[in-house]
Amino acid sequence: MKLNIEGLLVYFPYDYIYPEQYSYMLELKRTLDAKGHGVLEMPSGTGKTISLLSLIVAYQRAFPLDVTKLIYCSRTVPEIEKVVEELRKLMEFYAKETGERNNFLALALSSRKNLCIHPEVSSLRFGKEVDGKCHSLTASYIRAQRHVNPNQPVCRFYEEFDAVGRQVPLPAGIYNLDDLKDFGRRKGWCPYYLARYAILHANIVVYSYHYLLDPKIADLVSKELAKKSVVVFDEAHNIDNVCIDSMSVNITRRTLDRCQNNVDTLQNTIQKIKETDAAKLREEYRRLVEGLKEANVARETDIYLSNPVLPDEILKEAVPGTIRTAEHFVGFLRRFLEYLKSRLRVHHVVQESAPQFLKDIFDKVCIDRKPLRFCAERLQSLLRTLEIADIADFSAVTLISNFATLVSTYSQGFTIIIEPFEDRTPTIANPVLHFSCMDPSIAIKPVFQRFQSVIITSGTLSPLDIYPRILDFRPVTMASFTMTLARTCLCPLIVGRGNDQVALSSKFETREDFAVIRNYGNLLLEMSAVVPDGIVAFFTSYVYMENIVASWYEQGILENIQRNKLIFIETQDAAETSMALEKYQEACENGRGAILLSVARGKVSEGIDFVHHFGRAVIMFGVPYVYTQSRILKARLEYLRDQFQIRENDFLTFDAMRHAAQCVGRAIRGKTDYGLMIFADKRYARADKRGKLPRWIQEHINDGSLNLTVDETVQLSKHFLRQMAQPFRQEDQLGLSLLTLEQLESEEMLQKITQIAHQT
Amino acid sequence: MASLSEEVLLVVKKVRQRKQDGTLYLMAERVAWGPEGKDRFTVSHLYADIRCQKISPDGKAKIQLQLVLHTGESTTFHFANESSALKDRDATKELLQQLLPKFKKKANKELEEKNRMLQEDPVLFQLYKDLVVSQVISAEEFWANRLGGINNTDPAVVNNKQEVGISGAFLADIRPQTDGCNGLRYNLTADIIESIFRTYPAVKQKYSENVPHNLTEKEFWTRFFQSHYFHRDRINTGTQDIFSECAKQDEKGLKSLVIQGVKNPLVDLLSLEDKTLDEGYGICTTLPSTSNANKTVKESSNSAIIKRFNHHSAMVLAAGSRKGEAPTDQASETSSTDGNSRDSDFFQPPVKKVKLQEAIEYEDLQRENRPKTVALNLKKSDRYAHGPVPLQSQHYTTSQDIINSVNYIRHEMMNYKPNLTEVRFYTAFLMITKSHNYQKETINRSEILHCIAVFLSCVVLVER
Repeated sequence: MKLNIEGLLVYFPYDYIYPEQYSYMLELKRTLDAKGHGVLEMPSGTGKTISLLSLIVAYQRAFPLDVTKLIYCSRTVPEIEKVVEELRKLMEFYAKETGERNNFLALALSSRKNLCIHPEVSSLRFGKEVDGKCHSLTASYIRAQRHVNPNQPVCRFYEEFDAVGRQVPLPAGIYNLDDLKDFGRRKGWCPYYLARYAILHANIVVYSYHYLLDPKIADLVSKELAKKSVVVFDEAHNIDNVCIDSMSVNITRRTLDRCQNNVDTLQNTIQKIKETDAAKLREEYRRLVEGLKEANVARETDIYLSNPVLPDEILKEAVPGTIRTAEHFVGFLRRFLEYLKSRLRVHHVVQESAPQFLKDIFDKVCIDRKPLRFCAERLQSLLRTLEIADIADFSAVTLISNFATLVSTYSQGFTIIIEPFEDRTPTIANPVLHFSCMDPSIAIKPVFQRFQSVIITSGTLSPLDIYPRILDFRPVTMASFTMTLARTCLCPLIVGRGNDQVALSSKFETREDFAVIRNYGNLLLEMSAVVPDGIVAFFTSYVYMENIVASWYEQGILENIQRNKLIFIETQDAAETSMALEKYQEACENGRGAILLSVARGKVSEGIDFVHHFGRAVIMFGVPYVYTQSRILKARLEYLRDQFQIRENDFLTFDAMRHAAQCVGRAIRGKTDYGLMIFADKRYARADKRGKLPRWIQEHINDGSLNLTVDETVQLSKHFLRQMAQPFRQEDQLGLSLLTLEQLESEEMLQKITQIAHQT
Repeated sequence: MASLSEEVLLVVKKVRQRKQDGTLYLMAERVAWGPEGKDRFTVSHLYADIRCQKISPDGKAKIQLQLVLHTGESTTFHFANESSALKDRDATKELLQQLLPKFKKKANKELEEKNRMLQEDPVLFQLYKDLVVSQVISAEEFWANRLGGINNTDPAVVNNKQEVGISGAFLADIRPQTDGCNGLRYNLTADIIESIFRTYPAVKQKYSENVPHNLTEKEFWTRFFQSHYFHRDRINTGTQDIFSECAKQDEKGLKSLVIQGVKNPLVDLLSLEDKTLDEGYGICTTLPSTSNANKTVKESSNSAIIKRFNHHSAMVLAAGSRKGEAPTDQASETSSTDGNSRDSDFFQPPVKKVKLQEAIEYEDLQRENRPKTVALNLKKSDRYAHGPVPLQSQHYTTSQDIINSVNYIRHEMMNYKPNLTEVRFYTAFLMITKSHNYQKETINRSEILHCIAVFLSCVVLVER
């Protein structure tokens, strides 16, 4: 249908529309008009992606000068591919309606592992191996050597792309990962480099968070993207963790040993080159004297996305003399390395700030702050000069130099913690230096600064106001949308007691309590008898799940559950879990029914959907608090309190509830879907916990279902499931939660729609 | 006689049939009996016609052998030779035991088919009882209508007999009971053993390797229940029993399944993340303890339990879906041969495309809602509609009843003298019929009869 969103003609590739989709597009349009940032929460399964795409594509067509590009970031590869498929649907609709082929270019970008078509390289299993091998075939000096030595192996796909691929732009169309590979095979071009090149002039780019948030990658891939782009972060409820992860470094003794080897190799290589080709080193020296002027020019003219690792001041200066020659730099690295080794020899836990660390390093080994800041850049230059083929081998020294740059650049937002052993095993020495980022806004700041509109959206972003605070930006729109429903297809229940009135909770004091564990077992057992097909149960942590499973096994509860359903359990091995997942789906598919025991914060809880019969009930055993004894977490909480005035408990509860919401939200993936959401912990009944659940879940929790026993839960579930199993037709929804164009345009409905968006 | 030219396999003299002495002949294709001194057989059955043989219990005075035919008839032979009666009977029995299975395969396919149909379809069976057993129509007539339909349907439909899966909890059903003197008793039924074999082919292999020669069946199962294989939560301390190899095989099977990967890209956790952080980057709040040394015994036993449940469920599932085909050694390996390996891009995209399309579809937003339903294939439609109702409690009217009642009505009507109240009767009849069929669109014949009976009783009342 064709919609009129405040004067903008939007093509929407379906015959019907959900009211909340219309409302979502309205808010989005206002955000784009204001050229500001937005935070939008809309329940999963209400067609968030297609609404986003429809509106932004329409906006791009209407105002091609205001919005030139859409950068759509998602979390996982399947998500990325889904977005591209939805986009394809939209474009097909455009072609059908307008009758003309538009010259729209949209593509997905992923790592080499998913795009490589080189027969040998692509058969490698791990992404890192693929990257390393690819680099050893395509690095510029390798290709230069080929002129001298024709036997030098190179990648023919890259050669072909380099020779012709850049002159001919990728023809307009929608390219998913497989389409890129096909195109690459037909032309004999490397799809990965083709895609990386093509994103510069594409209208829509779909890729993962890391390409924008991880400074190491963003610098390579995304730095030249146009300023007038709209950036969308989908499934953004965990975006702060992604930011923090990309800026944090851990150094163990093993890292240092490998680094030592790297430095030795560097030294030898320098020695060799000095004898054969001294001119090369001199050339590098000259370049370093010139400084990083080039990068500086680019940033001033605002062509590049700034790299938070490479602060502006650095660009104005030349590399300091102390590390300008190759030997001096290697010597410098050696000293730094020795210093780190000595720091790891501590016997007690040390926590200090970055300035403290810098002072200490200056006192002990006379290393100044300034050369440390250039460490990462200097190493890159050296590796290029020395023509190191396999970059992957040098990951240790790269890590150390990145650490050096980070620690000397940021005086705030980071902490250094040195732990001589693990807490659980105090006798075994395993020293680790954690350099952890506590401020997610550091990594995302360049994105907010550079791009005119950044949209943060997800199914679970409650409470909305916390995201702008921890990411440090000022949104123009913040809205949470509810799900309009013709029938209440979700049923959140809070189970607070067992049948014997024992309070159910996963809190630390009662964690080992047999009565609680038994009652949890009873809950699962009874639910397995009434819920058809699939049940997914989440535990707060892996260790907790292991203990409970063992104790259920001893008490014979699992055997009884097996009479009703098959049991599959997430393990720490991803491949094993994938297999268990597939078997789980197979068991649901063939009617036998199954239970999946899984872990909140795990891969399953984040990336796998349990649509329809794959998840008729989700049981959340306990409140998934993060492990609070970790020193890194404590430091972060302290930082949040001091910098953003967020109380520790508020943040912990917020973090636990967003994960709980993610887990239970896995079951509902649309309005025709239905599912039970069982919160098995009495603490969920408290207002501070309940209030942090997304609005679309919260509004279905009634006061009667706040502190149920297992029996009552089973009764309510039976009733709910029986109701839901009745046929549900399109006509039942029409006019309420599903609208035709005429219905949408009625005055009354437009009135109603304004109430869907809940502004904060 | 042509049949005499058949090879005679066994001749037993002094066998009585219907109180008559005679000789029993077991020939190549038939079993025959002729009275003494006569040159012809009074009893002659093809092996193919014989459903089974029965013998009299050992202690009985009369030593007999009964042949039951597919038609339901039976013939009894009495071995009357005092000295060797038992030996004769056993010789006959054993020879028959060898011969009958050979012919069973050749036995009338159609008959089997009929049998199967009757067994599977209780309604048909009831109809058969009503029509054929009560001799309304002959069996041939009955099947003439039915079998035409059978031959037309494709064989896949005919053979869609569902195999019964395995209960996930079959191991839980083997509850050990103490026998009172420091021992445990496990009760095994044939069903449980079959479940174990189907779920754990490795155990079956061990059984066939060991049982007749090395171990007795009882010993085998005793060892099974003592083994670490059965009690997987206990850590295998390296003791050697015959099942330790099974555990290894299972491990191998599991590993091959894992390596083979998953076909559905949406659940492949390995390729979920686009770009994992390099080693050393990121926050690790809880460091996974990589070294096995600091893992406690309890922890590793816990993970063994988890592994075991995953494996058990996978095997139960595989055993259930292994339809028809002989249970091969490793279900996992057979499925890996279908060419859908990880690296072959040739096979992957279609699965992926389909799954992606499924994932982005909003069925309620589209106008044309293609019905994507699977046709419900009910074996027992009565059970589905009414729940478990004993079949015999339903009152069936045989055709004889109908004919009788129609005759009766005809008779009544002929004698009936119309009078002024006729109209009222008619409306009464209509009302009665209506009140009976208000829920159903069609009335079956018993209801018609009932209505007529009620109507007639009304008539009688009014007449009086």
